[in-house]
Amino acid sequence: MFSKKMNKTLLSAVLGTVLLVTGCGGGSGSSAPGDSNNGGTAAPAPSNEKKVLNIGLKADPPSMDPTISTSLYDRQVYASLYDKLFDISPDGKIVPMLVDTYEVSPDGKTYTFKLKTGIKFHDGTDFNAEAVKFNFDRNMTTEKSKRKGDLKFVESVSVVDNDTVTVQLTEPFAPFLSVLTDRAGMMVSPTAAKEKGDDFLNAPVGTGPFVFVKQVKGDSVSLKKNENYWNGEVKLDEVNYKVFTNGTAKVQNLRSGMLDIIDDTPTKEIPAVEGDSNLQLIAESGMGHQGLHLNNSAAPFDNKYLRAAVDRAIDREALVKVLFNGYAAPARTAFAKGNLAYNEELNKPVAPNADEIKDLLAKGGKPNGFEFKLLISTSPENEQLGAVIQNMLKQHNINVVLEKVEYGQMLEAGSKGDFQAMQLGWSGRQDPDGNVHDFVVTGNGNNYGRISVPQLDELILKARAEQDESKRKALYDEAIKVSQDEAVYAYLYHQYVLIGMNKKVTGFTFVPDGLIRTATLDKQ
Amino acid sequence: MMFILRRLLLTIPILLLVSILTFSLIHMIPGDPARVILGQEATPEAYQALRTELGLDKPIVEQYFSWLGKVVTGDLGMSITDRVPVIDLIIQRLPATVELTIGTFLVAILIAFPAGILAAVRRGTWVDYTSTFAALGGMSIPSFWLAMMMIIFFAVENQWLPSSGYVPFSENPAQNLMAMILPCVATGLRESAVLMRMLRSSLLDVVNMDFIRTAKAKGLNEARTILGHALRNAMVPVITTSGLMIAGLLGGLVITESIFSIPGFGRLIVESVFKRDYVTVQGAILVSAILVVLVNLVVDILYAVIDPRIKSGKGAGE
Repeated sequence: MFSKKMNKTLLSAVLGTVLLVTGCGGGSGSSAPGDSNNGGTAAPAPSNEKKVLNIGLKADPPSMDPTISTSLYDRQVYASLYDKLFDISPDGKIVPMLVDTYEVSPDGKTYTFKLKTGIKFHDGTDFNAEAVKFNFDRNMTTEKSKRKGDLKFVESVSVVDNDTVTVQLTEPFAPFLSVLTDRAGMMVSPTAAKEKGDDFLNAPVGTGPFVFVKQVKGDSVSLKKNENYWNGEVKLDEVNYKVFTNGTAKVQNLRSGMLDIIDDTPTKEIPAVEGDSNLQLIAESGMGHQGLHLNNSAAPFDNKYLRAAVDRAIDREALVKVLFNGYAAPARTAFAKGNLAYNEELNKPVAPNADEIKDLLAKGGKPNGFEFKLLISTSPENEQLGAVIQNMLKQHNINVVLEKVEYGQMLEAGSKGDFQAMQLGWSGRQDPDGNVHDFVVTGNGNNYGRISVPQLDELILKARAEQDESKRKALYDEAIKVSQDEAVYAYLYHQYVLIGMNKKVTGFTFVPDGLIRTATLDKQ
Repeated sequence: MMFILRRLLLTIPILLLVSILTFSLIHMIPGDPARVILGQEATPEAYQALRTELGLDKPIVEQYFSWLGKVVTGDLGMSITDRVPVIDLIIQRLPATVELTIGTFLVAILIAFPAGILAAVRRGTWVDYTSTFAALGGMSIPSFWLAMMMIIFFAVENQWLPSSGYVPFSENPAQNLMAMILPCVATGLRESAVLMRMLRSSLLDVVNMDFIRTAKAKGLNEARTILGHALRNAMVPVITTSGLMIAGLLGGLVITESIFSIPGFGRLIVESVFKRDYVTVQGAILVSAILVVLVNLVVDILYAVIDPRIKSGKGAGE
């Protein structure tokens, strides 16, 4: 008869834990025949009365409190919830936002901000000098604050009058205003922050164009229009952020009309967006970079010639063409186009020269080539990148062993210095300092490759204290040359921001930080 | 009653075992939660502070018992990353998955029963071959691919159904049901293949037995013989399979959930693993194990209903 005596009790125990495994299997995108045209069918418009904008995000925004935020996806939502003391303009410059006018003392240590007046937080609290001071203090002293590093040089903040604040720095810090264009400059309601304490991340209150309604963790964030927005009338009634971890599904939802904008378009889905007459693709150079951390403190990359051999053997122009179909810019520095420190000449890719590489290998004591292990994260795009690098280096007898690791594991290996090479980049910051200081100066947090070049440290520290833009730029040029000569990190490409959008959405302006600013958006 | 009680008592050691296993497994995964939460922006001081805050600097055995102590009192703890009670996260996520599971199962039986019965009755004919072929196809097609194809066909090319847009049933039943059709069919098709194969072979075993021959000899027509006598006797392995299927679906729908953007339980578990949100993973797996145990209990009761010999606990396999 039937085997009814199956031991279901044991089964239960096994299943419980195995559910995990079943859950983790697969999940990568499928290849969809993306360029099939929509045939002009219009996306289903939701109700006519309410204008609802749905934005697709690549990952979950974990926290609605800018003080403790560490995620790029948080920043997308913050662009609707919060205003900042300063903002970035479409051409990448710093412009006042909640600040009306400002002055910097000649020694670069005192900043005086005259604030805009008549602005209120969503809960009715006045935005004024006290609120600014409260926010600085909260960011600098709250135990869980992740902004302490950004505001390291702030000595004190004092209220001069109701709408004037002065910020005293301990030493000149040129990137200061740039820091205030991001989370350290976001203003939260003092009333709400005091009342909610740690729970503020689940009930955020700002001055932004949209008001928080609810968040389903891991799934969506819903916002509604701020009826009293200070900077012009908000045209949309609701904005919803929806998480789509699968890029193909996200693009198909854009095509079906369930989403109006997506934060990022996977390269392989670009034809699907471009081929759809209802959609448009915003492809602009971002502020970040991608590349290889080479462990400068361990073999084989404690040898500068071997680092240089790897750096020179990568054909960046080909890499960008093969992997991104041109939707990325080759990189040899940390500074993308539009950045103050961008130097076209120094960033220009150099075609690999077999003799030069042979020479470098010989100088590095490995005339017959060598082998190293490269950690790459598990996304399909990164796997391809790994394979392309592997092939490029092979031609010069450099053998790459690829090891796929998940993001958390990669950070762990990086922090411990337990790797030879790993592929990890940076989303980028407006100020040059934010793209190098933490990455190449001896002993800093993101300096996974244990880079330690005294001359480089000196140049970068000098540049962050320099107030004069042209002198700063000259210092960064110098730093780039040292960094290239030492081949401390192999810069590969500057990623593009690839925003997919329904043509019904109007009022969009691209800003190089890649964040979607909803205040001016409308839907036809 | 004793039967149910005995089963329930047995679950306690099982749940303990599951909790120890998940606790050890998640701590064995490389990658420290403090590191993952802080990301690339971590300073060493922030890292140490967070480790202390999360209690990660304590010995692992101590961490386990302090967690278990709270669980016993019904407190699953606070999520490390989201800072809300784990139980709230689970309550928020479970309904969508339960609905998806029920929908998937309905689709599966609606297809599997007619197809399985027909294939068994018309064994060796084109009906049998076609449904067997379709079932093998169904089992071989990955559900994420099928889901994507269905989105492209039903939501993009022809705008018949939404490609996402889940809302809780209580909020908007019509929109909820519309949004659930594609995901339920995409996973249900695959599951129906498994059930159909099981039903077919089990029915074939039964129709060759003596009592069926007797029934036929009595002059019962084929439909009544199959539906009235054979089907009930062929149900035990089908129920076993269904139980396993439902238990698996309750935690294993993560791919469907992420493609259709449904805030489900499977996604909660997987996201929490990636975020190293130990507390949520432990709580969710525990709830998941309880669900599996409950499903199995229901299966056991159903056995007893269908085959009274099982109730005695002696089994029918003698």
